[in-house]
Amino acid sequence: MITIKDLRKTYDGFEALKGVSFSIREGEFYGLLGPNGAGKTTTISIMSSILKPDSGEVLLNGKNIYTHSDESKRIMGVVPQEIALYNELTAYENLTFWGGLYAVTPSELKARIDEVLKLFGLYERRNDKVTAYSGGMKRRINIAAALLHRPRILFMDEPTVGIDPQSRNLIFEVIEKLHNEGMTIVYTTHYMEEAERFCDRIGIIDNGQIIAEGTLDELKKNSHARETVVVNFNNLNDALLQKIHSFGSDFKQVDNMIYYYTNNLQTELSKIISQCNDAGGEIHNIEIRKVNLETVFLDLTGKQLRD
Amino acid sequence: MIKLALKDLRLFVKDKRSMLITFAIPIALITLFALAFGGAGNSGKDAKISLQLSDLDHTEASASAIQIFDSLKNVNVLKVTLEQAQEKIKNGDEACVLIIQKGFSDSLTAGKELPLELQYDEAQEMQVGLLQQSLIPTVAMLPFNIGNAKAVMRNRFDNMVKGSDDSVHTQIHKESDGLFDALAMGVMQGSGTADIGAGFFGGDIKMTKLVAAKKDNTLGLVQAVAGTAVMMLLFSVVGIGVGLLDEKQEGTLKRLLYTPMNPINILLGKMLSANVISIFQLIIMFLFAAIAFGLDIYSHLTGLIITILATAYACSAFGVVLASFAKSRQQVQGLSTLIILVMSAIGGSMMPIFFMPSFMQKMAVLSVNYWSIQGFYDVFWRNLPATGGTFLSRIFVLILIGTLLNSLAVMMFKKNILKLS
Repeated sequence: MITIKDLRKTYDGFEALKGVSFSIREGEFYGLLGPNGAGKTTTISIMSSILKPDSGEVLLNGKNIYTHSDESKRIMGVVPQEIALYNELTAYENLTFWGGLYAVTPSELKARIDEVLKLFGLYERRNDKVTAYSGGMKRRINIAAALLHRPRILFMDEPTVGIDPQSRNLIFEVIEKLHNEGMTIVYTTHYMEEAERFCDRIGIIDNGQIIAEGTLDELKKNSHARETVVVNFNNLNDALLQKIHSFGSDFKQVDNMIYYYTNNLQTELSKIISQCNDAGGEIHNIEIRKVNLETVFLDLTGKQLRD
Repeated sequence: MIKLALKDLRLFVKDKRSMLITFAIPIALITLFALAFGGAGNSGKDAKISLQLSDLDHTEASASAIQIFDSLKNVNVLKVTLEQAQEKIKNGDEACVLIIQKGFSDSLTAGKELPLELQYDEAQEMQVGLLQQSLIPTVAMLPFNIGNAKAVMRNRFDNMVKGSDDSVHTQIHKESDGLFDALAMGVMQGSGTADIGAGFFGGDIKMTKLVAAKKDNTLGLVQAVAGTAVMMLLFSVVGIGVGLLDEKQEGTLKRLLYTPMNPINILLGKMLSANVISIFQLIIMFLFAAIAFGLDIYSHLTGLIITILATAYACSAFGVVLASFAKSRQQVQGLSTLIILVMSAIGGSMMPIFFMPSFMQKMAVLSVNYWSIQGFYDVFWRNLPATGGTFLSRIFVLILIGTLLNSLAVMMFKKNILKLS
């Protein structure tokens, strides 16, 4: 459905995208993950045709989105990262305004507004000004405003940032419902559990490049991520680090922690602990991490997703 | 605490906008008002009040009188034909014309009242008043300087004893001549010639309103309403223009770009709303003036509506263009305060432009305020017809300003949209 070919974009000498290519199938839930500044928002902006790349192209059903901008925008919905609503208008007025910018008849729009308000549990509060809403309620209206014209592709740029668990769960339910109805969703998030829960496929972007792509299982299989023993020291310093290094273990240091990577946790765990003690390390705590998206991401980018 | 203060100072120095607001605006205003009130840059010539002079007598005496008027420090005499002078007054380009009527020389010789007439634009009566203050003593002294002052004095006394027999008149003439000689001696010893002349000879000038024969409203009211309305309109349209930057800041502008709407419609929508609000604002201000102060808007409705529409168009374009140029709300607010205050000061919103030096009066044409206020003067004071060339030329200038600013706004907005994304 969407094909992205070799996108390049430079801002004031900074290369934000260095040849990004991937494709998304119809009805697919595609997660675009990456640390801050990796190029996610630039990619989404180009895909939603509000930003022109320096080179490369985005094809929607085989048509270039810039030469068919109007047509493309009519089947796309975008949930921006920021809450882009008019605070002094009511939820109903906001939805009427945003829905009215698409070719939707007034009666159809009215019915659709009622429908999405009910879907997001805000029908009873529809006549309240947005400024009186909680952060979670604003997030819900922010998403609702992108659904009024029944888009076939929905871009969601971190739609659950900073919200309460109740709103988060409600949004998850809506997202799952939309996906089940066949909507193509492109999703960026900092929350691994969201990506693991929803995404059919995931693209990991770092430094303006897609560095890995596939299903969660494929990513796990193809990465070097292994089960990890995270040892948090009270006294990690250069001398201790050198001693640990002399044991020849496979590890990585992150702040006061040492990440030991192993293919056989059961046999390796006691060995790791005794090595730490022998080196004179004061262990604050130990955490064992199974291979998941977080470890895959760390392995690929060297960064936590929230860095 | 000191580190925080130093950090703030460093940020302040790096922020050009803050520097502008803190230093450049006050300096600009101080300069402006100093110039306006004549405290600085006043070369003397600039402070002169312009006086058109039309000589219908064409005699040596009238030429001498013109020379005397021309030598006045505060008056800049422009010799013109009566027709030219009247045309300029009707168009609002000049305030008045002093006419030396036929028979001036004869009256001077005979000691009769001088046939001098000042035709003027009532809309500029304050300027005319200032001019009168300069002219009256001079006119009073004309018989002393170029005519038969002794005869003037005799005639005045004769008039007082009108109907008496010849012996009384003869006695009066004798006493009058004696008194005149004494006065002349006093004058020669430097005891305030002007006061003596003005006190006795009167220095009368016939005053004729050439414009605004029907005086329904006061000059002050029209000045206050038009001047304030235009200045406040400029402030409020900037607020509307700033809405564009708020949209940018709050993300709604970006969201609008995600929709199929043509990006330029975002700006056009803003222009439209600015126009509508401006029109309403002006209507409400003039309605208020009508209700509260009795400004007669109903008998000038066509001209008023045309001027309101043209003013709203020009002013709203100003607000939108400013927002299109700026990068942030703070930048617009700093910039707009400076520009609006300067435009309002030179354009006549804060005080009538004839109070200003002539070079500033020439600069006034650069401001929207000037054209709008002149348009309102045309409607309410000069009673010019809505189809007249003078009135329409002001409307044309306002429309031209609006169109140019709107075109500029479109160009700048396109450039900024790309940066927004």
